[in-house]
Amino acid sequence: MSDTKVKADKLHYAFYSGCCFQGADARFFDILNQVFDRVDVELHLIEGAVCCGAGVIEERSELTSLVINARNMAGAEAMGLPFYTPCSTCFNVIANVQKRLRQDRHLFDQVNEILAEEEIEYKGECKLTHTLWVLAQDVGLEKLAERVINPLNGLRVASYYGCHTRNPLDIQSYESSDNPTSLEDILQILGAEIIDYETRTDCCGYHATWPNNQMSVKMTGAVLQGACKQEVDMMVTSCPLCFKNLDGVQPKAVAAAGEDFQLPVLFLPELVGLACGLSADQMMLDWHAVPVNLRL
Amino acid sequence: MLTYDILIVGSGGAGLYAALAARMAEDLRVAVLTKVYPTRSHTGAAQGGVNAALGNKDPADTWEQHWFDTVKGSDYLADQDAAELMCREAPKVVRELEHWGCPFDRTNEGKIAQRPFGGASRPRACYAADKVGHVMLHTLYEQGLRRGVDYFNEWMTLSLLHDGERCQGVVALDIRNGKLHTIQAKAVILATGGHGRIFWNRTSNAYGNTGDGAALAYRAGLPLKDMEFMQFHPTGLRRTGILVTEGARGEGGHLLNGLGERFMNRYAPEKMELGPRDMVSRAIETEAREGRGGPEGEVFLDLTHLGRERILERLPQIRQLCIDFEGVDPAQEPIPIKPTAHYSMGGIHTDLHGMTPVPGIYAAGEAGCVSVHGANRLGGNSLLDILIFGRRAGIHALEYARSVDFPAVPHDAQAAAADQIKTLMDGDSEETTAGIRRAMGNLMSDKAGIYREEKGLTEAIAGVAQLKERYQRLRIRDNELTFNTDLVAALELGNMLELADLVVRGAQARTESRGAHSREDHPQRDDEHWLRHTLASRGSDGEPALYYEPVVIARFQPEARAY
Amino acid sequence: MTEAINPKREKILANIRIQRFIPGSNKAPYFDNFKMEVETGMTVLEVLRYLKNTQDSSLTFRAFCRSAICGSCTVRVNSRSLLACSTQLLPILKDFGKSSVTITPMANLPVIRDLVVDIEPVIDKLARMHPYLVETRECIPEAIELECLMSQKEVDTFGYVTDCILCGACYSACSSVKADEGYAGPLTIAKAYRFSVDPRDSFRGMRIQASMDQGLWSCVQCRKCIKVCPKDTRPADSIRHMRKISIDDGIHDTHGSRRAIAYTDDVERYGQVNKPMLPVVVYGTKGWTAIEAAETGLQKLGLKPTREVCTLPGQEVAARLYAAVRKREKAKKVEKEL
Repeated sequence: MSDTKVKADKLHYAFYSGCCFQGADARFFDILNQVFDRVDVELHLIEGAVCCGAGVIEERSELTSLVINARNMAGAEAMGLPFYTPCSTCFNVIANVQKRLRQDRHLFDQVNEILAEEEIEYKGECKLTHTLWVLAQDVGLEKLAERVINPLNGLRVASYYGCHTRNPLDIQSYESSDNPTSLEDILQILGAEIIDYETRTDCCGYHATWPNNQMSVKMTGAVLQGACKQEVDMMVTSCPLCFKNLDGVQPKAVAAAGEDFQLPVLFLPELVGLACGLSADQMMLDWHAVPVNLRL
Repeated sequence: MLTYDILIVGSGGAGLYAALAARMAEDLRVAVLTKVYPTRSHTGAAQGGVNAALGNKDPADTWEQHWFDTVKGSDYLADQDAAELMCREAPKVVRELEHWGCPFDRTNEGKIAQRPFGGASRPRACYAADKVGHVMLHTLYEQGLRRGVDYFNEWMTLSLLHDGERCQGVVALDIRNGKLHTIQAKAVILATGGHGRIFWNRTSNAYGNTGDGAALAYRAGLPLKDMEFMQFHPTGLRRTGILVTEGARGEGGHLLNGLGERFMNRYAPEKMELGPRDMVSRAIETEAREGRGGPEGEVFLDLTHLGRERILERLPQIRQLCIDFEGVDPAQEPIPIKPTAHYSMGGIHTDLHGMTPVPGIYAAGEAGCVSVHGANRLGGNSLLDILIFGRRAGIHALEYARSVDFPAVPHDAQAAAADQIKTLMDGDSEETTAGIRRAMGNLMSDKAGIYREEKGLTEAIAGVAQLKERYQRLRIRDNELTFNTDLVAALELGNMLELADLVVRGAQARTESRGAHSREDHPQRDDEHWLRHTLASRGSDGEPALYYEPVVIARFQPEARAY
Repeated sequence: MTEAINPKREKILANIRIQRFIPGSNKAPYFDNFKMEVETGMTVLEVLRYLKNTQDSSLTFRAFCRSAICGSCTVRVNSRSLLACSTQLLPILKDFGKSSVTITPMANLPVIRDLVVDIEPVIDKLARMHPYLVETRECIPEAIELECLMSQKEVDTFGYVTDCILCGACYSACSSVKADEGYAGPLTIAKAYRFSVDPRDSFRGMRIQASMDQGLWSCVQCRKCIKVCPKDTRPADSIRHMRKISIDDGIHDTHGSRRAIAYTDDVERYGQVNKPMLPVVVYGTKGWTAIEAAETGLQKLGLKPTREVCTLPGQEVAARLYAAVRKREKAKKVEKEL
């Protein structure tokens, strides 16, 4: 199992960007780099990585999903670095592939047979991680606290994990699946006041966007409404896809629910960046669908 | 008033198969009435296998050998014509189940896989990993959905109606809303399962296995048979009595005492761990009594030498049970076990068609007693029993129902049940259901368990009488009509006490040891005086009256039973 | 061989909050608080039974086998759906770091009383999936003297799905059922899948239709069902398999199937999904409005909209891997038919 390499006090990761860090969301890549720079983390792009398929490819061919994701992981293994992705769904899909290939020797051999034709070897040993645990465990709360320049001063925050870093029970071994605390721990270090709310563990519906858009919009609206009931200042999520719904689809969701509210939603790295002294401009908060007026 | 041609009480394998057999004809109205939901029935807990001489694992197997094994296993108390029928028809019903989609495990040739089981001369237990009862139950339920069987779920039957000449129907409580209903029926099939819960704290049975059908039949004047024969399954988890399937021994597991010895050497040197259940249970009890057990008198089922992979493949469920309920991983440690009250050989007396002495009233499955299991049941034969006799009862009830009109139902049919409920809800009492129930369980385990003797049984009879008296004073505190589980538990307790009475009386009267009934003061089997069935009926004074009937001997003359 | 002595035993004095409700009698659900010592090894069901037997005999819940096979005792503890009989309570108390725990009935179903819910809605949905084998004469002999021949491998394709005990935990946890009452729920689609891949069955087409009618494409793949299933039957996986079967059988004109085809083909072609064009791929010509709106939005931010995505450097190898997989799958299919 490859461990985090410490080179000149920095933490290094093989970086798997996932799809939401391209196209219009390419800014996230930029934001991540700025933020991680503040906490001495260096990202190294995995060459030849392709889209994980989001589990959707498995609705056509499971073996294809296993092969291309084994290859994605093999890229990190070849670099000798832990595999880090900021996308919760990529994490879930790839962790699931790793588990499946670990449990089924026959499949593991089959996948490697196919990869061998491209001179790629998948060992199945790399450590898989996500922004939550890079910050809360690898960087550590102590160091993070040191880097906070603009504390949030008791900002009332509704924390939202989304589903894919929590389900199923054994998708990760960093913390409890029923009662994870990494997101709240990070937010508290940044100076937020964590407010509990009814819909905290509900699904935002992102992956129903195409197959059942009406239901997806309804689910997003429900999550937001639950938080609004507690009169929070903002919602912060550790999942970029949840973010796309909670922010991007918010106007549509609120209208569909016959409601009239605005709840600023931030993607975790953005807030970490702000607290660590980066500006709203640097975090490109103007690009949000729902305005974020944050004076720190 | 609800009306059905055929009403089946109980939704386990026997009840569901009866429903399917009756419903295949499609011209009669058939309903299944159950205290739970069909897929909750205790058939689903059966893990090990269903016996049938398919000859897939061992081509030299024949149904006659199965027949002999069954009769010998019963310690020669089984009616040999019934056992013959069951073993001969076994391949047919197992294959019918398979045609209905039951996902049995397969041999390399693609046939239904079979494995060795206790007391079987050849491997003939057909299995599906360690969940054959579960998949059978679901298959039967699914086909019932397909064939349009009506289900009354969470209804508890309180009275069996007949006029001495023919069946009239039942009175049942809709647990959901507390309403009583009379159901007129030409034929009623009682398939309510066993009564292992009379050993309340030391049984593998579900909470609801309280012998409701047998108690109903007894109160309605029908005779119950061979009640003293309760099978203790050797391998129940130490803390809870939850079953670890015989299949674990069929796969090669060893039984070790506290000293690490494979003690079955002393009791069944040829068959070892695969001796019949009554012998193995007695062996374990003896080891514990003679001080060779573990810290709590338990022994150990060792699967570690099978290897983790084989355990995960063949016994995944019981592994999970051991982890969840005992905190032990069988792949790493031996499992602590104790014998647990498991199966009721005795039940409602029926003929080969499942019919009781009252035309139109049938019984099948563990609730009935034909008898095919005699004094001791072989593993894998219970699942077979429910299929065979559930089916036969269904077919016979179908013919019967076609031949008669609907019966008249007494206008005060609900009176007895209504009174009973009213009394239970009337006022306060110092007695509690839990208290009386616990006392009953302890009494039965102490004095009518694996080893019995005269003094203990006499005390047990007096003890049961005392408990029945306390029960008269029982009042429940929950007076709501909606889903009153307090009421249901109290009604179940009444049924259990009735049956416990018959068990201890039958045990005291039978001064021999046979099969699962072991008398320390009469350790030998006594064919001269006791090769006969015990029947128990309610006498005119309201007390149980015991009488006896001969065993049907066909081909196999009783011999000593050695394994 | 003796057993390890000194087993680790702990006790926590806990506050057990249980939801009570009798519709018709009570205006709304309320909570009762019970105090008791929770010990190592005690299951949630043992706790409930202890409270019922010693503190309040009117506490109402379902229980039967107490060995995780009948599926009666599903409840929620701290919002997680689970089987009361096989879940220990002490670890949950420690996980949440509190001495209080909340027990509520299953979600998504009407309450009958306290922790007992009405499961008829699930059974109705299940019944509509044709959850029974409809035999195909090609496989199943007329005569009862023979069983249908099947390999263990074929059984293993769906064997794990038959572990399902219909406990409803997945239904209670399901995000899509919560949002859409008409959605079939995980266990029903899993059952439809189980029969559709049984070689003895002939009703696959009908079940695909039934699944689609009841929301086959509504599952949001949140994995909560996988998390809570006490028998590890992975319903969300079965749903993906069922979706695949429907596409393989030629049903391409649903939004979900178009998405699946687009994602799969795009990754082969570009190494990533062509998200800008997805609206029109999934919705047809109606999708242009969405595309145009998105492009306007991008322009406002000062970005140049594009209808193509760049081809990732890893695409070439990915395409060859796709081809290699296709070759193998074809060979397997031929082997199966032989």
